[in-house]
This record gives sequence, structure tokens and C-alpha cells, in this order.
Amino acid sequence: MPTHNHTHEAVPDNGGGELDPRDAAALLDQTTRRAERQLDLHPPVLMLVAALVVLIAYGAIWLSVRNQHPYTGPTLGALGVLYATLAAFGVLVAVVTRRAISGVSGRSSQRRRGEAIAFAVAWTSVYVFQGALHHAGASHAIAYGIYPAAAPLIIVGSAAAAYEAAKENWEWSGFACAARAASRIWLHG
Amino acid sequence: MVGLRLRRPGRQPDLVARLSAQELDPLIHVPARLRIVATLAALPEGDAVSFPRLQDMIGLTPGNLITHLRKLEEAGYIDTEKTGNGSASRTSVALTRAGRSAFEMYTEALRGLLGGL
Repeated sequence: MPTHNHTHEAVPDNGGGELDPRDAAALLDQTTRRAERQLDLHPPVLMLVAALVVLIAYGAIWLSVRNQHPYTGPTLGALGVLYATLAAFGVLVAVVTRRAISGVSGRSSQRRRGEAIAFAVAWTSVYVFQGALHHAGASHAIAYGIYPAAAPLIIVGSAAAAYEAAKENWEWSGFACAARAASRIWLHG
Repeated sequence: MVGLRLRRPGRQPDLVARLSAQELDPLIHVPARLRIVATLAALPEGDAVSFPRLQDMIGLTPGNLITHLRKLEEAGYIDTEKTGNGSASRTSVALTRAGRSAFEMYTEALRGLLGGL
């Protein structure tokens, strides 16, 4: 226990007076909700931002390839928008995660390290496949246009969907599946 | 704990107060300690939280928090672990299995008490 100088503050033995069970229930409810909100790694607002990221990033890609004849792939600007929004989202996730796990240690922090490694592998595989496509003779429009635009959502989205499903977090799993499906539809469209 | 709601609020306050003294764990049935235990119970099992973070989450002064943590530790409801020395020292607090079980019994007793009125 820390040896602060305030250890001799007078604290009533009952720690705040007689507690009516109704007040106890209300306090318990309020405290639990507050703690869960503070420790939540996936607050609802993050899902909203993720949806906006998909909309903006893939909207930019779609606009850049619309009516292209012959197809040359997304423009550099559109790819820039895609990766900038993904990077911004990554920073937001890092900030939310850092705030939620600040001061928390134990089994779940070890599990989070494992998850981070798994996602790093998933991201790396995106670029390994890109190299394979290049060596297999895929066109520039495919290997450096459509693939880097679609693959992050398909590969990393699949990993995220599986991970959230394993945790029975169906909202996020559903969102990852929807993003992946949108990306596949766009890819074939 | 979400979902603890009164069926008929405002009834028999004296009876509720009397029953509470008998049925609810007196170590937990104190506002500050109830907040501490409820906050620690929100962590996944096997996790601990640092003293400053716990203080920040609960909003108690360090002195108050230490006093209540000592009582809970003496009862075997929490474990505290100190790592490092001097200014680099860090204390983490976790609910023990006995503490989690006592908290579950407390919430069950509270639910039963309020549901039965």
C-alpha cells in the first residue's frame, strides 16, 4: 500500500454513514456502469468513428475509380485518403486503449499483447501477398491500386471479425464482417 | 451491477434498514468500500489496478482509500502488491477470489432484499 502523507486523515469507520439498501443498489449500479465505461476498450463512439472511416476511405476510392475506362486503379490521392483515415483511426484506437488500460495489469494485459502480435501479423500478411501478386505478374493497377485499397479490410477485417466473435462481442464482429463484405462488393463491382 | 432496481420504492424504509444490517456484508455495505469493491469487480478476473488509477476512478483521497483498502485486505477481500522502491514504487490492488465471492453474495443479498419488498 502506498505510504502517502494523508494516511492519518480521519475516516469514519462506516466510511460514509448508514447506507440504505436502496441507496446501496443505486450506488452499486452507478459505480459499476462508471467503471465499465472507464475500462471499456470498445466504446460505442469508436464503432461510429470506424463506420465513418470506412465511409470516407472507401468513398474516396470509389469516387476515384468511377467511370474509369480503361481501369487504371485508384488514384494516389484516394489511396492517401484511405491510409490517412486508417492511420487516424489507429491513433484513436491507441488513445482509447491506452486510457482504458492505464494502471491495469494482469492476465488481460498479457492477452492484449498476444492480440497485438496477431494483428501485426495480419497487417504484415497484407503486404506479403502484395509482393506475391507483383512477382506473379499482376498488373500495376491491381497490385498497387485495387489490392492495397481492398486487402486491409478483407484480411485484417476477417481477423478482427474472428477475434471479436471468439470474445462473443457480436456488435464488433458484425461490424467487421459488414466492412469486409462492403470491401468485397466494391472489389467485384 | 446493472439491473438492481426496486420494485416498490419508498416502502417500509425502517424494515429495509433493519434487514440490511443483518443480511448484507458489513465490510462491503459502506459507501466507500462498496465503490471500491464494485470497481475492482469490473476488472476481469486475474487483473489488478494501480493505486493512482483506482483513486482516480473512485475519487477518494489517498488517505481514505488506504484506510478502506486496509480493512478489505484484512478481511482477505483484496490483495495489494507493491513493486519497485522509492519514487518508482507502484502498488496494485486486486480483488481476491474470496472478495469476488463476497461481492457476488452481497449483490445477491441486496437483490433479494429489495426484490422481496
